Amino acid sequence: MYIYKTGISVIDEVKGGISPGSNILVLAPAMSSGEKLGYSIMRPTPGEYALVLSTVMRSVDLLDFFSSEKFNRDSIGVIDAVTKLSTPDISDTAQIKYVSSPSDLTGIGIKFSSIVESIFNGEFPPSDQALFPPPIRFYIDSLTTLLMYRKLEVLYQFLHVMTSKLKKMEAIGIFIMNNESFDERTLSLMKQLMNVVIEVKSEQQGDFLRIRGVPGVSHDWMQFRIHAGTLELVT
Amino acid sequence: MIRTGITGIDEMLGSGIPKGTRVVFSLEPGVEGRMFMFRTVATVLQERKNVLIVAPHCTGRVLISECSELLNIDISGLEGEVHILDSTVRDTINSREKKTNSRKIAWKKLIRETLDRHSIDVLFIYFDLLYEDLGLEKALDLMPSAGQQDRITTVVEHLNLEGDSLIARFASERIFDLIISVHSAFTLVPFFNFFTLEYVSWSRMPRRSIPYTIGEGSIRLYIPKIIITGPPTSGKSTFVAHASESGISVDRGDLDGYRTTVAMDLGWLHFRGFDITIFGTPGQPRFDPIIPQIVKNAMGIILLLDATRPDGLLRARELLMLAHAEKLPLVIAVNKSDLPHHLDEKTIRESLNIRDDVPVFFISSLKQSDVHYVVESMVDRITRHPY
Repeated sequence: MYIYKTGISVIDEVKGGISPGSNILVLAPAMSSGEKLGYSIMRPTPGEYALVLSTVMRSVDLLDFFSSEKFNRDSIGVIDAVTKLSTPDISDTAQIKYVSSPSDLTGIGIKFSSIVESIFNGEFPPSDQALFPPPIRFYIDSLTTLLMYRKLEVLYQFLHVMTSKLKKMEAIGIFIMNNESFDERTLSLMKQLMNVVIEVKSEQQGDFLRIRGVPGVSHDWMQFRIHAGTLELVT
Repeated sequence: MIRTGITGIDEMLGSGIPKGTRVVFSLEPGVEGRMFMFRTVATVLQERKNVLIVAPHCTGRVLISECSELLNIDISGLEGEVHILDSTVRDTINSREKKTNSRKIAWKKLIRETLDRHSIDVLFIYFDLLYEDLGLEKALDLMPSAGQQDRITTVVEHLNLEGDSLIARFASERIFDLIISVHSAFTLVPFFNFFTLEYVSWSRMPRRSIPYTIGEGSIRLYIPKIIITGPPTSGKSTFVAHASESGISVDRGDLDGYRTTVAMDLGWLHFRGFDITIFGTPGQPRFDPIIPQIVKNAMGIILLLDATRPDGLLRARELLMLAHAEKLPLVIAVNKSDLPHHLDEKTIRESLNIRDDVPVFFISSLKQSDVHYVVESMVDRITRHPY
């Protein structure tokens, strides 16, 4: 069984990483490093692919961000739910698929399948370490935005279907959500779909994370920093 | 009649959708099913009919752009008039009306006025956000009332997050006259899309599931694999050759002077709106190890017998077992029936121990009409099979 490295040393050293079909929820307040933490977990290692649903950043900016953080851009597909709001006539490419808005769950599902299919068909740049099924990390940035456009129950049902597909594909899901914007019921419902929850907080000394759902890994707050797209725990 | 423009569906429905009926395309998340709605919109407009599209999820310009990207057709430039109530209308209604009922009244009034003012023939509704904003009952109530319904056909696209229960409700309460659910067979690999004709009010039609592909701006129904198997010299290669528009056969002469297939026959045909690939297996026992591989992912099996060779029944039975035919739609074709023969249907059924509903046809695979009759029966059985 393929094991996904998270880039978080305490998980990777204790458990070797996380299993296919797992879903990780990053709960982070606004203005924290939560989003970057999410991207560091999403970062594909050699032989892997990543797929991002961006409801926050335009794909063109996102690809620039990947370049600046030294990600392997070729192995990352993007579902862009932002650009069409301002550029309605923009067309899909092999790597970037556009949906009309974050409310368009039909479009998001279709573009997800389209990119996954092209990865399975070897239409993304082939890897030197070809694995089957191809390991895929799917990142939604962010649930906060999706919840602004769609009702909680609808989004829950949609994510339930998507996470089932991730499980069948032996992929993993990474989801980020602002934990200050929603009530306990919303957070609790979202957590039901997840295997691992990583909470993030920002303090004067820096950013801290706390991991729930990985047996054998401490529940204590740990200081971290992100450097060149890679997470380091500060001991 | 309103045509969907999707070859195969219109034929199955009896040349299209009757005027004044209600249709729903119910999409499973992740399946490329937007083409059903887009293709119907374009076909209706090409037939000089006027349409109203209620698209609360995006702007009209985005809708036209997405339609153009999928179909390579600018729907705003076709013969009929297209009117769109888009996301800006939804934003206006939702900001002005705070109560669900008031929102429904505002939508209903606007839709009715637009239908009347522009002599609309077909109303297309993207249902999801209306369902979310208004609830199911109120959203369904936006469809034309009985008086208008005689002349206006309504086509709804819906992302079904509730699964079979919602489809069952639509069917049991007769909310729609035609229910087509669109799915993908998503195992480890997302390997094929299919739609199911769940319910048709104007015709006694069995529930049918049909795979499809999307390419060059259209939906193509397809059957990726039909297997032709049978004892040696029963005429499998001839059958495949006469069924197909193009194909290949790997034959060699054997010691008795007959031609025998050493790998497989392969044929392609476009038949009644379906793209079909036919695989013929070798009949000689020495090729038995490869038969389970050839049969893998097949959607149906045609067993070919030689009417002049009753001794082939034992081998035929072995081949059915090798192909796991009990799990798949099966048709028996008894070839060379134009020659003197003694093999009858009763003997075949008893020897092969086949189900009563498996048809047995006496044919000559030299006649293309006989071959097509068998293929037609196979297609019919495949589309009725519950995958």
